[in-house]
Amino acid sequence: MFLYLVLASLVAGILVGHLFTPDFGNAYEIMLYALIFLIGVDLGLSFSTGELRKVGRKALLLPFLTLTGSILGGLLAALVLGIEMRWGLAIGAGCGWYSLTGPLITQYSAVYGAVGFLGNLLREILTITLYPLAIRKLNPEKAIVIGGATTMDTTLPIMARFGGKEVALVAFVHGFILTAIVPFLLPLILTLFDY
Amino acid sequence: MIFVFLIAGLLFGYFLRKAGKRPSMETPMSVALLAMIFFLGVKTGEVHVNGLWLLGVSAVFAVLTIAGSLFLAEVVG
Repeated sequence: MFLYLVLASLVAGILVGHLFTPDFGNAYEIMLYALIFLIGVDLGLSFSTGELRKVGRKALLLPFLTLTGSILGGLLAALVLGIEMRWGLAIGAGCGWYSLTGPLITQYSAVYGAVGFLGNLLREILTITLYPLAIRKLNPEKAIVIGGATTMDTTLPIMARFGGKEVALVAFVHGFILTAIVPFLLPLILTLFDY
Repeated sequence: MIFVFLIAGLLFGYFLRKAGKRPSMETPMSVALLAMIFFLGVKTGEVHVNGLWLLGVSAVFAVLTIAGSLFLAEVVG
């Protein structure tokens, strides 16, 4: 039932944004920070330091699998679409961080900057819609990889709501590690393959 | 900024637990989540896409990068 509410909210928002282009100011950021605070309260109410250590070990491997898989997926997409490999590498390395990927790639190509932005934005939207469905078949901890770097902020509430508190902690560590890596890796890829 | 709110929440939750209070976070989290997704939708709806090509290519990238990450996590993780 809650999944339908999530989808209805998303569709209603897209329709309102497309039809009326309203100015809500920074309402999105305010709600995001409110959610992050509430998630913190929820974690603080129930987790001990022992559990934090246990979850941290489990979460260390996943970000590297997410990043490698995402880059391989980007390369495959470039091959399928007949696009230069460097754009595939860069868009894949964005790991869902559209607000970083789009502007960085735009420095080299406006068209692929737009693809980098939209492709990674779609990844975030797909994570919001697919994660609740994916965990019916997949391990909820492994399934967080679909969110890429967004699992420490925008998609964290979905993971927390549908996966539970322990998954929320793994998701946060996963997103945190990727958020630390992507801003260094993406410019490196763009510089190395700038020919 | 994210860390400030998360750590503030963690501390607040920790002090609530020490004080012997355990309020349910489910309803406020659900309400805030639905509102945040609505505003995310608004931002997405405001993006003007130049043609179906851009949308199609972006969708292929979104699906294949997700698939790549999921595949490795399932096989290696």
